[in-house]
Amino acid sequence: MQHTLNITTRNEASVVERLLQVTRYRGYQLAGLAMTPLTDRAGLQITLTVQSEKPITLLTSQLVKLYDVQQLELASADVAVLRA
Amino acid sequence: MKGAELVLKVLQQQGVDTIFGYPGGAIMPIYDAIYHSTVKHYLCRHEQGGAFSAIGYARASGKVGVCLATSGPGATNLITSLADALLDSVPLVAITGQVSQAVMGTDAFQEVDVLGLSLGVTKHSFMVRDVNELAHTLQEAFRLAQSGRPGPVLVDIPKDIQLAEVSEPEWPTLPAARLATSLANAAKARQLIAQAKKPIAYIGGGVQMADALPQLQAFLAESEMPSVTTLKGMGSVARANPHYLGMLGMHGTQAANLAVQQCDLLICLGARFDDRVTGKLDKFAPHAKVIHVDIDPAEINKVRFADCALLGDMKQILPAISTATQCADWLTHCQQLKQQYGWRYDHPGERIFAPLMLKQLSERMPDNSVVCCDVGQHQMWVAQHMRFNSPRNHLSSGGLGTMGFGLPAAIGAKLARPQDTVIAVSGDGSFMMNVQELGTIKRFRLPVKIVIIDNQRLGMVKQWQQLFFNERYSETDLSDNPDFVALAAAFAIPGHTITRKDEVASALEAMFSWPGPYLLHVRIDEKDNVWPLVPPGAANEDMLTETN
Repeated sequence: MQHTLNITTRNEASVVERLLQVTRYRGYQLAGLAMTPLTDRAGLQITLTVQSEKPITLLTSQLVKLYDVQQLELASADVAVLRA
Repeated sequence: MKGAELVLKVLQQQGVDTIFGYPGGAIMPIYDAIYHSTVKHYLCRHEQGGAFSAIGYARASGKVGVCLATSGPGATNLITSLADALLDSVPLVAITGQVSQAVMGTDAFQEVDVLGLSLGVTKHSFMVRDVNELAHTLQEAFRLAQSGRPGPVLVDIPKDIQLAEVSEPEWPTLPAARLATSLANAAKARQLIAQAKKPIAYIGGGVQMADALPQLQAFLAESEMPSVTTLKGMGSVARANPHYLGMLGMHGTQAANLAVQQCDLLICLGARFDDRVTGKLDKFAPHAKVIHVDIDPAEINKVRFADCALLGDMKQILPAISTATQCADWLTHCQQLKQQYGWRYDHPGERIFAPLMLKQLSERMPDNSVVCCDVGQHQMWVAQHMRFNSPRNHLSSGGLGTMGFGLPAAIGAKLARPQDTVIAVSGDGSFMMNVQELGTIKRFRLPVKIVIIDNQRLGMVKQWQQLFFNERYSETDLSDNPDFVALAAAFAIPGHTITRKDEVASALEAMFSWPGPYLLHVRIDEKDNVWPLVPPGAANEDMLTETN
């Protein structure tokens, strides 16, 4: 099953590596990645698409713990804001 | 002032008076600042040893441990310790020197991308790029290491930042991390507990880390249910509690494992359903509903579905879910299991039986002693046969299972709690993994007691080879071990070797009555194994015992 996550992060050099490291380690396959600096360049808007048969909450619960992640939304029929 | 001096200022501002480390080129400005600082630096003999000492210090005291290393190999030598701290949720701040920013990315001498290397073994890692951000970054590192579920944080500081001039900042008080606690499911939890016929509390290291041991004793007293602990939870349940069944899992007690397998309600408190606890997951506690209480939302439903989850501060949650139970028959049954499967120490022959020796050590050691283990058979025997009155008194590498942990952790524990006796219990394999830290004990005249349980084998691996690999003993023979007493003597540490049961009591007496560090070398039979054992892939009720 494929899931798309909309993630707002701090604009730190290592943030994409961190997201990808957690995604790989937790066993989710990367299916798409896009990144755009926010207008004030203080943050990044990252769209991460992953594929796995595991529940997506097992990944989102790990990603929202990352220090640089400010907001994470699951872009699906039931959009859930996991961190306000 | 220079950035390096500011690092020491921040450490003082954070209340740090003890740090561990090893100098080198890219961190020399910070070591120059240490020269004039009141912060006491303990020079270890390897960066891994320094970081394990910081972990031992943190775990024995509840404070943040701090370690320092230079760039390149100094930083890479920290990686194992960072992973250990991550898996055991230990608050640790590691500060590494980095080559100057002007040469970063050029494969400069002793340059390594430690921030990249640290991604999988830290809670977070910072690279300081501007000296004006240095103080705030370090403060943030301390806040993060302690907040929520504790863990290791790395701060990589390029040499030019250490040398840059900076004015002393005002010290804004960072707001303490808010710990959101939801009691919305408390009523449901109380209902599950009140209705349960066979409830059991499964207690991990998180209870003590939440400083909630008094609340735990009150919860267990009111609910009057049996309890079991993980390796990291050992010492959480008051010794006087008659319903405590011991450690569960791969080398847990038969009573603990059988009771958990039979229970109808499992109340998981600050634990994470580790595979060494559950055995075959889909057969673990098969009849039980689960209440899971934790500080980390990511642990809920990660391994085992929770029928009822409560997140946040254990100190608030335990009183909120506390309720009386009606399970007298279950308590009686668990007592019968405990009596039926009690430990036996009637080992034939004159040779030392490690479980009995550790029981004697446990009974002889002063109250509130700290025992630091390495990893392997001796670690499991310690967990099985020694009793502790706090998890802070039993420091064992749980999640990562790192050989070489015990000796340096004991150094940190002794510095954290100089009034308490500290004992490093090691195996002959593990001891050699950080043996260089005998030099640290010698230098600082630390009265750490060292007990090496020596079977001249990598015992736990050998046990598995015997049981599951058709007795093919591949690379587990250590019969060419050094003379451990002579080795200790080279570091001015007296020692003694014992081989017979009748020598144990007097040897322990001699060790404890000696005022300084001491090494007791205990030779045991290589045929002795750790029992019971849940074989890999088996359910916890399918334990192997010596008689199987």
